[in-house]
Amino acid sequence: MILVIAEHRDGRLNRATWETITAAQQLAGDQPIAIVVAGSGVQSVAAELAAAQVQEIVTIDNPALAAYTPDGYTAALHQAIQQLSPSLVLLPHTYQTRDFAPKLAARMGRGLITDVTAIKGVGGERAFVRPMFQGKLTADVIPQGPEPHVVTFQIGAFRADQAVRGQSAAPVRTIDVTIDASSIRQRPEAPFQQARQSVDLSQAERIVAVGRGIKGQEHLGLAQQLAEALGAELGASRPICDAGWLPMERQVGSSGQTVAPKVYVALGISGAIQHLVGMKGSNVVVAINKDPDAPIFEIADYGIVGDLFEIVPALIAALKT
Amino acid sequence: MSVATIVLWLLVVVSVGVFAAQVATRVRLIAAAPNTFSINRIGVRLLRFFADVLCQRQTIAERPVAGIAHAFVFWGFIAFAGYTTTEFLYGLGIVDLTHSAWFHTYRLVLTGFAWAVLAGILYLLVRRGVARPVGLGTQVSSESIVIGLLIATLMTTFLLTFWLPEDTTAGRVNWWVHAIVILVFVALIPASKHFHLVLSPITVFLKSPTLGNLPNLDFEKEEVGLETIADLGSKMVLDAFTCVECGRCQVNCPAWGAGKELNPKEIILQTQAALLADHRETRLAAVYSEKVLWQCTTCGACENQCPVGIEHLPILIGSRRGLVSNGEAPKFLGAVYNHLERRGNIWGLGYDQRQRFVESSALEIFDPSKHDVLVWLGCAGAFETDYQKSMRSLFEILRSRGVAFGVLSKERCTGDPAKRTGNEYMFQELARGNIEDLKAAGPKTILTSCPHCVKTIGDDYRQFGYEVDVVHTAVFVDELLRDLPGDDAATGDSVTFHDPCYLGRYARKVDEPRRLLTRFGGTITEPERNRENPFCCGAGGGLLFADKEEEPGTRISDMRFQQLRATGANTVVTACPFCSIMLKGAHASAGAEGGDVQFVDLMTYVNGRLNKA
Repeated sequence: MILVIAEHRDGRLNRATWETITAAQQLAGDQPIAIVVAGSGVQSVAAELAAAQVQEIVTIDNPALAAYTPDGYTAALHQAIQQLSPSLVLLPHTYQTRDFAPKLAARMGRGLITDVTAIKGVGGERAFVRPMFQGKLTADVIPQGPEPHVVTFQIGAFRADQAVRGQSAAPVRTIDVTIDASSIRQRPEAPFQQARQSVDLSQAERIVAVGRGIKGQEHLGLAQQLAEALGAELGASRPICDAGWLPMERQVGSSGQTVAPKVYVALGISGAIQHLVGMKGSNVVVAINKDPDAPIFEIADYGIVGDLFEIVPALIAALKT
Repeated sequence: MSVATIVLWLLVVVSVGVFAAQVATRVRLIAAAPNTFSINRIGVRLLRFFADVLCQRQTIAERPVAGIAHAFVFWGFIAFAGYTTTEFLYGLGIVDLTHSAWFHTYRLVLTGFAWAVLAGILYLLVRRGVARPVGLGTQVSSESIVIGLLIATLMTTFLLTFWLPEDTTAGRVNWWVHAIVILVFVALIPASKHFHLVLSPITVFLKSPTLGNLPNLDFEKEEVGLETIADLGSKMVLDAFTCVECGRCQVNCPAWGAGKELNPKEIILQTQAALLADHRETRLAAVYSEKVLWQCTTCGACENQCPVGIEHLPILIGSRRGLVSNGEAPKFLGAVYNHLERRGNIWGLGYDQRQRFVESSALEIFDPSKHDVLVWLGCAGAFETDYQKSMRSLFEILRSRGVAFGVLSKERCTGDPAKRTGNEYMFQELARGNIEDLKAAGPKTILTSCPHCVKTIGDDYRQFGYEVDVVHTAVFVDELLRDLPGDDAATGDSVTFHDPCYLGRYARKVDEPRRLLTRFGGTITEPERNRENPFCCGAGGGLLFADKEEEPGTRISDMRFQQLRATGANTVVTACPFCSIMLKGAHASAGAEGGDVQFVDLMTYVNGRLNKA
């Protein structure tokens, strides 16, 4: 059996759990899959997960688990694993997982393979691929020793939308565990959230950024249309935000945000070094600028020398067909 | 012994006792501090003592009227020393020299001084009490008014002696008023800013001959920088008690000018108050506020303009060291340190970019048997596309004048941003690596367009025992073109020149860039704040990377841009890559209001004019 440990907070399921379910389904073969949900009042989360094509949803409902604590979670999940005796325990590699999974694995005396990005066969054995040395190398890890093996998956390594849904809802069963509330040493405070900016460009997968070449605030709509066609966030260089055409939180560069999207489209941005530093981590840079000597072309993967007011509408049209 | 003599003795004992007790507290605090006094390069120090103490150069330079008024008072004090001594020797019944012929002549000479002091002190009283310039603080210092009035009284009572014979009642009252005022004055000195008249000659002499003197930390001795009041060195403690609160540091500080919280005068006065409170374990970050420490661009204006020998930078950067050593650097520096550590340059770019530039510019790797000079590209020369245009201009000039030059196959950042932000460990790592490579390459002269590299290699690297001639390109090219005839028929451009702090103020190279501009017939429209006291572009001290440079107040770079724009010149010439980045940024941000201003690096300007000729 493969056991997936679901993550949730305030009655909301963390979407990364679905990614882990996808991984479990790819690993399962003819093994059954169970999903365990630990907490207090977890029925709605369990019901949501029941849509997955799995053998069952196992809930642990205990007031001591109302708020997440590493001691409480470890105690509860350890007992669940003892009762269900899975061969693999899978988790999404979230901050919460990083907090308690090592403790859980150590409690059982089992190995923990973290931040796995792929699964592959190596010499007939199943290997888990994980990055090492800040992603400079990858290692193929084959777990050995007694089961269960505990594995965590990097966010985005598997696709949530590829998780197979069942014909009918999977059964939900509750198991009992005993948690000695006095053995929980942590006293969680109310979750702290940094004043979050309404746009977090650092997480954006695609960014369309505008510079002074856009000429006037009235032309921002054009960039906005391109961003919508690409499913991208709108960013800007410093002069645009200084002029108040776009809010400061959309500024990219050393005095704004540092971004690393998969695609960065620079419209009319000359590419002053202070801007380049903020977006040099982008995977693919597309630059559109009238000036062929603009420094942005030094780091662009695709460069178009020309008038953005001609090129952008053509791009939008092409993207819409 | 007469009653009068006994009374005077008693008064003298009380006055001197009060003076001595207060001085003792301050001397004890100076003695308790780690010894940082140095008297190296004694010739420079003596010259400065002569100029700044005896001739009052620094006091007069920035504020000529107030400065000369002060000089009158100062010279008067010195002139009166013999008079006061003689009168007290007489009054205390020790020896009577007041009836000698020379004393009579001396008194006649002193009348001239007395009128000068009186005029000076009355002007200063009006300035402080009525005109109230901003640098003197928002509140009128009542203690200064009292001291001013005391000095005026001393001069008046002295002049009255010519009309009031000493054996009349009025004459005796006049004599006693004069004597008592002196004794009150003595008792008031140590706890007030007037202590500078005792300490400033010493402080000026002990001030480092180099601006922004920052001895390396010795990690073997577990030095981590300044964390608490107890870590302040003896010169810093002396500085704190010497401050005369004139506010020259304040009004020249670009951060203060742009509306930031940093006020260098407050830094010194807060140090003084914290020392006197005698809580030696108080954290400096609490004394000054952490935020303020990260608003300094290390432009050096405060230290450079101080007339009494105070060094602000060692305190500011020393406190940054204390913070960085405890992992308390601000967020924006995290990225810079990461870039320096992983990639060896401030922008974290890959050195393949530098290699491409080296190849496309057909640069040779330095070889002392083939090349006259080594050109140090620096981070900007290696990576900043805009600045590389200026480097290409430099190469053209050098080639056309037959200078054989080469570059290192590999460079790291000199470590300037690390040094100036207090990351001493990283600075020393970078410095040691570069010095090793430079020693292996063996150049006699290093040429660079970056004034920060000039300061770091030419000055900071000396502490590692590496001595080499580092020349800024403005100086080198000026020399190189000297035998070339000037171009009188040239266009008559009107340009303005922005002196980089590390070139004008630190290296004091102000005429060379100007000669390069005028030799082609251009005229220079000078901006406010120029030459040895320029207004910073805002990039120094690691603040090139500050993420909230506009908060609070305005950006320093925007202010400087407006000052340069006010000259009306369409061409602004700079000679530092940092200045260039900041000012171009400010120009871009100003939008249409920024007008049609072109920023040109000095080498590009010179090469353009050479090609035109």
